Amino acid sequence: MTDDVLHLVRRATWGPTPGLLEEVAAKGPAAWLEEQLRPASVGDPVCDAFLGLFPRLKLSIAQSRARFRHGDWGTMQQLSYATIGRYTWSRRQLFEVVCDFWSNHLNVTNPVTALFADRHDYDANVVRRHAFGSFADMLVASSRHPSMLTYLDGRFSQVGSINQNYGREVLELHTVGVSGGYDEHAVDDVARVMTGWTFKGDGTAVFDPRRHDAGAFSVLGWSTGVHNTAAGPQVQESLLRHLAALPATARQIATKLCLRFVSDTPPDALVTRLAGTYLQNGTQIVPVLHALFASPEFAASAGAKTRRPLEGYVAAVRALGAMPGTEGAGGADVLFTQARSLGHAPLSWAPPNGYPDVAAAWVSAGSTLRRWNANHDLVVRRKPADLRWPASEPLLTSPPRTWGEFVGTLVQRLLYRPTTPREASALLQFCEKQAASPVVQGDPWLTTRFPALAAMALNAPAHMER
Amino acid sequence: MSLAHAPLDRACDEGRRWSAAAVLNRRTMLKALGGAVTLVATEAVHTQVALAAPGYTGDTLVVLSLRGGFDGLSAVVPGGDRAYYDLRPTIAVPRSRLLQLDGTFGFHPSLAPLLPLWKKGNLAVVHGVGSPDPTRSHFAAMAEMERAAPGTSLRTGWLDRTLGGRGVAQDDAFAAVQIGSPTAPQSLAGPAPELATSSLSGFQLTGPRDDADRRRWSTCLSTLHTQGPTTIVAPGRTALTAADRLATLPGAAATSLYPAGDLGESLADVARLVKAGVGVQVATVDCGDWDMHENLGAAGDGWMSDKLTELAKALAAFATDLGPALSKVTTVTMSEFGRRAVENGSGGLDHGHGNAMFVLGGGVNGGKVYGAWPGLEDDQLVEGALAGSTDYRAVIGEVLTQRCGAGSLQDVFPGLATGSPLGLVRRG
Repeated sequence: MTDDVLHLVRRATWGPTPGLLEEVAAKGPAAWLEEQLRPASVGDPVCDAFLGLFPRLKLSIAQSRARFRHGDWGTMQQLSYATIGRYTWSRRQLFEVVCDFWSNHLNVTNPVTALFADRHDYDANVVRRHAFGSFADMLVASSRHPSMLTYLDGRFSQVGSINQNYGREVLELHTVGVSGGYDEHAVDDVARVMTGWTFKGDGTAVFDPRRHDAGAFSVLGWSTGVHNTAAGPQVQESLLRHLAALPATARQIATKLCLRFVSDTPPDALVTRLAGTYLQNGTQIVPVLHALFASPEFAASAGAKTRRPLEGYVAAVRALGAMPGTEGAGGADVLFTQARSLGHAPLSWAPPNGYPDVAAAWVSAGSTLRRWNANHDLVVRRKPADLRWPASEPLLTSPPRTWGEFVGTLVQRLLYRPTTPREASALLQFCEKQAASPVVQGDPWLTTRFPALAAMALNAPAHMER
Repeated sequence: MSLAHAPLDRACDEGRRWSAAAVLNRRTMLKALGGAVTLVATEAVHTQVALAAPGYTGDTLVVLSLRGGFDGLSAVVPGGDRAYYDLRPTIAVPRSRLLQLDGTFGFHPSLAPLLPLWKKGNLAVVHGVGSPDPTRSHFAAMAEMERAAPGTSLRTGWLDRTLGGRGVAQDDAFAAVQIGSPTAPQSLAGPAPELATSSLSGFQLTGPRDDADRRRWSTCLSTLHTQGPTTIVAPGRTALTAADRLATLPGAAATSLYPAGDLGESLADVARLVKAGVGVQVATVDCGDWDMHENLGAAGDGWMSDKLTELAKALAAFATDLGPALSKVTTVTMSEFGRRAVENGSGGLDHGHGNAMFVLGGGVNGGKVYGAWPGLEDDQLVEGALAGSTDYRAVIGEVLTQRCGAGSLQDVFPGLATGSPLGLVRRG
């Protein structure tokens, strides 16, 4: 395995596994990436079987509404569990990383009671459907989905009684950004253009022309004349497609993709190039990702990102090789609870700006301590107990001769790179061994105390490098 | 954002679940997008910090969040406003049961444990407190109240900005603590560090088998965290320092002092930290389950009575536990909104607006209900709810300037108009 394989896998997945690193090395990073960008071509039997535990996610909005009492959290819970399970076990790893990215960019918090019948549909038909498609399509789909219409109040905004919530956030967060050159007047105009959506009794969204403000408006180079109210949806779509294709939006999305995949301080030249790629390709995402991963800035950015709590936790589960159970939520419920205790449960960020993706935003002593405890729980298989663990898995097959080699092998196995002298000395001191002392069968540090040693390797700051 | 208009939302689960901080998260992105304004504001704060004298000497500010929509009208009852009894035919507290405070107000009988503090002058009430944001969504109202920067793009919380203004160091483990849940409230969102934990006893490594093993773990983690990205190793070292320090703290007060339950346990932990002198500047504690849309109960028993009993006993125990340290602690209660003045068809109360805040501490000019009473007549209500005549930020602002050494409040509460002080607390 070469350094570029490890770098790519750390960034493009939820964490390496020994098998995945071998696969990428064998196929070559470029070929593997190609495959990842066509997720339908990647077989995913383990994850498919796991998702069978969550039948509610297949229901339409109307079916969910008819079947469950108002405020039933069950479907949203299944979404939470399915999401962390997909991150952990899907072989379409890059797709799952990008879904997480868009879920935060077009954030709609889950779970929240009012979304009980539709949030899973937002996930399927807005985020997952368009994650590798065009941003303009995703933006339009989000704007008229019941979840977004509830979350940002679009359903309550109508001609003569405007709610600016969505109008503001679509500019500030979804498209051009706070420095995108719009004013309060533009916020109001966008809010007015977007009026007209309401809900049917079955919980689906419907456009009601009587609620639409069919006036003349202009926003950031786009304009409409006074129009027929029935044309509202087309007018809205044209506005959103215009916003999606503005240079400021291109820069904002390019910057955020760089924050995700390259660095907390995105290189300006790369942002400019990626914004250009985005615009030249009609807001298509995949060409931008291609350009990003092929860039010298990406290649030079190894070590420049750190994992957030959820990523550190999921990466630990992946490193240890735990697979989903077959009962209940397959252990994903416990994964989710642990992620929540780390302050980073998937889809759970409350404000509309999504989880931050810069390391400085995640500095937390409490979360750090819980991460260490969660690592220990994983290694001793205490939580989640109902995962399937590799049979009698010795993390290290054929123990090395000396403790120095032993610790080195352990670090290589869990952190995927040779140990540093400091890590080695810390771990040797931890198990009261000298580097040269021989490994003797029956030593408690090979058996009962081994989990503490393995947890300690996962607690090394290097595990948090993305 | 808002999930409001929550009449649709009868179950209102958020109101209860917030207390577990299930969907609350603490950190916001500062460098990232849409944060230009935030960044500028933050940098301004930090410039100020560099010049500020180190060593905070003000009060410990305890913010007790009554999540779910606390009904101030049931707690501090305007029995002297005759409309009150018309509006609440089945759930009003009978005049004969009120613990009379003045000509207008009386405590709910379940607040009896607070009367001694009231009489001693350590406890005050501000009634008719409102938020500039009229939303009645739990979700949106809490977010706005804790951001406390209406009309700006700031995404930090007011407590974070308060700490930022004091130049709290990143490795100061105990300057800001959230006790009772593992994630801090949005009021602490932003760059200042905080320690959030379900309980002090829970803030420890679970791997070690005994004290000797704990030292072994601590040494190893400490060595490992001498190398690596600052954003990973710095909180690691802070966690170790905090865990070590917590392991040596004097024990908690007798558990019999506090009522059973999370609130008592959390306040006992706060008192323990304060008395140990570890440098707590702000502490946040949540007390949920106030979202009483149905069966609120009678004065003597039921949901409201039980909750008020727990609240009063816990606050009284906290004051007793602190003892002389109460002179340097100010506690304020907050809630995202009050409830409608008129009871609903289920013997409960829907989401409203104006509310009551309790202020407890050694520096409080207590024994008085502050604030201009908005009144409960039809034309005085806002959409069926008590109006807000005092901005909650003004109440906190007065505590910050008089007790917590704050100068200008512009960074903490941008855009807050300076009004005449209520006289709620003495300068200290």
